[in-house]
Amino acid sequence: MFKELDPILHSQLRLAVISLLISVKEAEFTFIKEKANATAGNLSVQINKLKEAGYIDVTKQFHNNYPQTICKITPAGVEAFETYVKALQSYMNPASQ
Amino acid sequence: MEQNKMTEQESLRLIGEMIGKVKRSYITKGIASIVWGVLIIVCSLLTWVQLQYHVDFGFDVWLLVFAAIIPQIYFSVKEKKERKFIGHDEQTMSYVWSAFGICIFILSFYNSRFGGEETTSLFMMLYGVPTFITGGIFTFRPMILGGVICWGLSVVSLFTSFATDMLFLAACGLFAWLIPGVILWQRYLKQKAGNV
Repeated sequence: MFKELDPILHSQLRLAVISLLISVKEAEFTFIKEKANATAGNLSVQINKLKEAGYIDVTKQFHNNYPQTICKITPAGVEAFETYVKALQSYMNPASQ
Repeated sequence: MEQNKMTEQESLRLIGEMIGKVKRSYITKGIASIVWGVLIIVCSLLTWVQLQYHVDFGFDVWLLVFAAIIPQIYFSVKEKKERKFIGHDEQTMSYVWSAFGICIFILSFYNSRFGGEETTSLFMMLYGVPTFITGGIFTFRPMILGGVICWGLSVVSLFTSFATDMLFLAACGLFAWLIPGVILWQRYLKQKAGNV
């Protein structure tokens, strides 16, 4: 029986964001934008979706008089990512299920 | 990045790619390492000159180590401010190096109170600890090797004169910090050039 893939994570940019955030404690919006090779507008929309799902925390602050957006994965986000990876593995190695 | 439908293979490839991108972003300038390396080498060699040629500089050359703390803090804070992300290992590293600093301070205090040339071996042993751990966590071989060299020289120094120990101490500064620091600096420049 194949596990269902989380629709929130099974999207290219959202998966890129969550994969990046799982590897760090926290990251700036500009860093994510650069690494995910995304436009600011599209990234904002996807980050909001991840935030609404409770998978990431977003903090807005000022740094050297410039606005700064910091993103951080939540425990729920970590769990969702792990479940997603396990589900992917079940698709790749159906014999192990 | 487009919002296309992905296959399972594509998803796994994307995850691996993003994790790899973050891993390659863990670039430090290595300035702290270079500063400490140079300082330890200079202080050790000056002490060796004092012992070997009976020269008196009129002050304790090791006080230079404390003078270097201010630029060290400045460079660390500046580098931290420039970083666009905080890694999971950074907090661990900060505890490891703080513990090292405290141990060095206590050992220096012990040295000034009770003297004893044997403590040089202990200093070298301590130099090896954070260097080896840092190298291990970031899989940075020059630092792993540097830590091992510190421990090796620490053992050898138990059988050598105090003046020779100073040359060993300089070698520790060279292998544990200066060389790894220069490698990190070159990597940083290379990455910077690649981003232009």
